[in-house]
Amino acid sequence: MIGAKISRWTMSYFAAALGWLLVALAMLVGGLGYPAAELGAPDTLVVVHAVCIGWLSLSVCGALFQFVPVLVARPLPFDKWALPALFLINVGLVCLILGFLSLAGRIAPAVWLLPAGSVVLGAGLAMVALDLGLTLVSQPKGSALFVIAGLGALCATVALGVAFAFALAGSAGAYGDALLAAAIPIHAIAGLGGWLTLTAMGVSYRLLAMFMLSADLGERQSTSALKFGALALSVAVVGGLFAIGLEAGLGAVLIVAAVLGVISLALYGRDIATIYRSRKRRQLELNMRMATVSFANLAATVTLGTVIIVSGKVGVHVGAFAFLAVFGWLSGLIFAKLYKIVAFLTWLETYGPVMGRAPTPRVQDLAVERRSEKWFIIYFLGVWAATIMLMMGEGQAFRGAAAVMAVGSIGIIHELVRVRRLSDVAGSRRLPAGAIAPSLLFARN
Amino acid sequence: MSRDVIDRIRDAMRVVIDPELGENVVDLGFIYEITATDGVVHVTMTATTPGCPATGFLKEGVASSIAEIAGVEAVDVTMTFDPPWTPSRIDPAVRAALGFDNVN
Repeated sequence: MIGAKISRWTMSYFAAALGWLLVALAMLVGGLGYPAAELGAPDTLVVVHAVCIGWLSLSVCGALFQFVPVLVARPLPFDKWALPALFLINVGLVCLILGFLSLAGRIAPAVWLLPAGSVVLGAGLAMVALDLGLTLVSQPKGSALFVIAGLGALCATVALGVAFAFALAGSAGAYGDALLAAAIPIHAIAGLGGWLTLTAMGVSYRLLAMFMLSADLGERQSTSALKFGALALSVAVVGGLFAIGLEAGLGAVLIVAAVLGVISLALYGRDIATIYRSRKRRQLELNMRMATVSFANLAATVTLGTVIIVSGKVGVHVGAFAFLAVFGWLSGLIFAKLYKIVAFLTWLETYGPVMGRAPTPRVQDLAVERRSEKWFIIYFLGVWAATIMLMMGEGQAFRGAAAVMAVGSIGIIHELVRVRRLSDVAGSRRLPAGAIAPSLLFARN
Repeated sequence: MSRDVIDRIRDAMRVVIDPELGENVVDLGFIYEITATDGVVHVTMTATTPGCPATGFLKEGVASSIAEIAGVEAVDVTMTFDPPWTPSRIDPAVRAALGFDNVN
C-alpha cells in the first residue's frame, strides 16, 4: 500500500469527543462531581466517564482509524465498523451516565442502565479494538507495539468496567462485589496508564518524527519505554487481581507498578528529547510547541504522584494527580495533535484531488497559529489553576478555573471549525476548480 | 530524449506541492528519475513517509501535471521508498528557506 486513504469517520469521532468535553466541562463548572462530591461518588463517576470515554477515548479512536493504516502501511480489515462502533460507544456511554445519575438519586431508579450501558459500550470498543488490533499485529514493531499494548489495556479496562456495572446492579456475585470493592484503582490504571497513555506515547513517537523530520529512533531504544510500561501494567492488573483474589492488600503491588511506570516514563522523556534534538525543522509549529507543554505536564504529573506517595498523602491529593494527568497531559496532547490532524486531513480531502491541476495552499495556510495560540494558553492556565485549587481544597475557585479551561477549549474548537470550513484560506486558492469544500463532520471520500 | 522535454516536465511538476512542507515535489527532491520516449513519460518518485495518505495524491498530482504538456500521450508514475527520502535531497535554497539546518 503506497498511501492510506482518508478515514471517513475520523472527524465524526473528533466532533463527538469535543461535544463530550464540553458536556464534562459544563458539569465541572456547574459543580457536579469531585471536589463537590467524593471521588467515588456517582456524580464524580458521571464526569470521569464523560471525560475518559467521551472525550479522550473517542479522540484516540478517531485518530487511530487514520493513523494505524499509516503506521503499518496496510488498510483496516473492517473499516465499515467505524460508524456503528461510534454509535454503540455513544449510546452505551449515555446509558452508563444515566445509570450513575440514577445511583445518585438524580433521576428515577434505573440501575439496569449500568450493565446494559456497559455491554453496549464494551461492544463498540471491542469493534474498534478488533479492527485496529488485527491490522497492527500484521507488523508488530515500533509504535505499533505501543498501540497493541494500549488496546490490550483497553480490553482489561472494559472487562473490569462491565464487572463493576453488573456488581452495582447487584447481579455480579461475590467475586464481582469483591472486585467492585477493591479493583477500582486497577480499572483507572489500566484505562489512564495503559490504554490512553501507552497509546499516546506510541503515536507521539511516530507523529513527532514525521512532523519535525527527525530520524526515527532505533527499535531497541523506542521499545525500552514500552517494556517497562507493559510490565507496570501487567503487575498492576494481573498482580492486583491475584492480590484481590487472595484477599491481600493492593498497596505493595501498586507501589511496584508505580516504580516501573516511572521508569517507563523517564525512558519516554529521554526518547522525546532525542527526537526534538535530532529534528531537521528548527522552527516548531504551534502543535509541536503545545505538545511540548503537555510533555511538561506529564513530567509534573509524575513529580506530583511521587511526592504524594512519598509523603503519604495519596488519599488527599489523588484527585488533583488524576486531574493533571487527564487535562494537562492527555487532553493537552490531544488538543495539540487535533490542531494538526484536522488541518492535514482537511487539506488532503479538499486539495489532494486537484493537486497537479491547480495551485493549492499549504496545510499551514488553513490555520492561523498566532490567533489560536492564545486559546491554548488560556486552556493550560486554567488546567494549572484548577489543579492547584484542587490541592488547596478550594471548590469554588476550582469551578472558576474550570470555566477558564472551558473558554480555552471553546476557542480551540472554534479554530478547528474554521479550519474545517477553510475560513482562513484567502482568495482564489480557497476552492480552486474541481475542489469541493469538506463537510464539517465527516470526510467525503 | 531532449533536455528541453525533461526541463518542461520538471517545470510542470512544480505545481504539485507537498502539503506538509509547502514546497514543490521537484525542489524537495521527491523526483528520482524522468524518462520520455515517443510521448510516453515515466517518472519514479518518492514521498517523505510510506503509508502517508498524501502519497497517493502526490502520485496522481504528478501524473496530472505532466499530462497537461502538449505532446505527452501517456504518463506512468512509479512510487518508491527505496532509497528512502531524506531532507538532504532538498534543493539547498529551499532548505534554507524552510529553516532546516544541520542537514548533511
